[in-house]
Amino acid sequence: VKVRIVDLGRVPALRSQAAFHGVAHAMGRDTPDTIVLVSPESPYVCVGFHQEVDKEVDVEFCRQQGIPVYRREVGGGAVYLDSGQLFWHVIFHQSRVPPLVEDVYRVFLAGPVEAYRAMGIPAYHRPVNDIQVEGRKIGGTGAATIGEAMVVVGSLIFDFDYQLMARVLKVPSEKYRDKVYRSLTEYLTTIRRELGERAPTQEEGKRILIEKFAETLGAVVEFGELTERERQAIAEVERRFATEEWIFQGGGLPKRGVKIAEGIRVAESAHKAPGGLIRATVRVKDGAVDDLTLSGDFFFYPPAALRDLEAVLAGAPLDEGALAERIRAFYADRAIQAPGVLPEDIARAVLLAQDGPAS
Amino acid sequence: VAFVNACELPEELYYDVERDVWARPDPDGCLTLGMTDPAQTRAGRIVHVRVRAVGKHLPRGRSAATVESSKWVGPFPMPVSGEIVAANPLLEKDPGLINRDTYGSGWIVRVRPSDPAELADLLTGQAAVQRYGAKIREANVLCVRCADPGAAGGERS
Repeated sequence: VKVRIVDLGRVPALRSQAAFHGVAHAMGRDTPDTIVLVSPESPYVCVGFHQEVDKEVDVEFCRQQGIPVYRREVGGGAVYLDSGQLFWHVIFHQSRVPPLVEDVYRVFLAGPVEAYRAMGIPAYHRPVNDIQVEGRKIGGTGAATIGEAMVVVGSLIFDFDYQLMARVLKVPSEKYRDKVYRSLTEYLTTIRRELGERAPTQEEGKRILIEKFAETLGAVVEFGELTERERQAIAEVERRFATEEWIFQGGGLPKRGVKIAEGIRVAESAHKAPGGLIRATVRVKDGAVDDLTLSGDFFFYPPAALRDLEAVLAGAPLDEGALAERIRAFYADRAIQAPGVLPEDIARAVLLAQDGPAS
Repeated sequence: VAFVNACELPEELYYDVERDVWARPDPDGCLTLGMTDPAQTRAGRIVHVRVRAVGKHLPRGRSAATVESSKWVGPFPMPVSGEIVAANPLLEKDPGLINRDTYGSGWIVRVRPSDPAELADLLTGQAAVQRYGAKIREANVLCVRCADPGAAGGERS
């Protein structure tokens, strides 16, 4: 098997996103299977194919900061990208990849996983599509069928601007933003954080990645250039991606909080109980409450006990009966007075954050 | 109904085996289209479907809708050339219908074919089961259906 490596180096933000789309759209049966490597010169935000920009991204903040927002033809959530990440885009003809998407990920995530390992980071593939190290994510990936190509995208994360990532997202409250920020720092790691001074340079990391892609795919890699047809396709994608019509097109994908890593999600809900509005900002980890903040305009006595209740619910499974039971026991134990806010109401608020739209 | 590797292939339907699309001819000459059982299996739990505008005329192979699952995005290709006359309104609220009832309430679009000659390329009955069955076995796909969310063990996320 032969794989063409197209190393674009550092390019403008729009080009870094448009390049793999163009290569994919131009792909035919005779096009060599290709891996594009690229890093954006300047930061930008990228939303998933079916997301609604206004619901996901603080567009006004991005405008003020000069951070462009683009939409990709790959699914998933809004992400922040900058030169601290080296992006790899695998573009194979769909006839030359496994039929099941799970297997596509297995085949193509092996390269980046082995690259991290070669650097000294004990990374592994957590299905379906995370790369993790000790329960923390060190690379999200996505897949799409674009034209005749199967595309898998991801990055080696050298450095990450956690603060800016949390800032560019549209969130219902600052409490929520804070929880997203803390969750990112807790559950997303980088090469720098794992290796400190021993971290390789991006050039070195790139060399390792190419080597490991070749090894894991059993392929001979050849460095190649974009063809004229591909350049034209990229130019066309750039024109389309820069239009307001494309960027702001209606989404429709329901907002379900912010996914931090596989199995970890931050979301917020509001439930109107007879005693007032209960707002629950929840981090869910593998189907259980991982971290919870309760607020609202209801009466709760003694007030300090609300923080204790949050702590008591940590680790509780997201099951209405189980949650209500824990809260009932807490109410009895601490002689809580909360007129019009029953244990079931609080349980409901927490569950809504799991299920419902986050804002 | 025929089954191959647990993939359901109703014999009365028509199939574009290469594109993994089923078609049901309606009395008015239109076709109701959807993803086949192997296609919904491959996609996984579908979270969103966006259908192109009603009235749009599309050539065979062009994408009539984009489908997003929790791990993949891709096109839903036209098995024949034609005009989109309707999109399944139920999918907006519940795109998971494609996973649970792909040959029924999980249909995606209705189209009015513009080139009757193309209909002959779709396979049905035993011919379809044979050709599709061979493809399923070769790809080694084992079909799975999502449980109804109301039922015990239904997937949640």
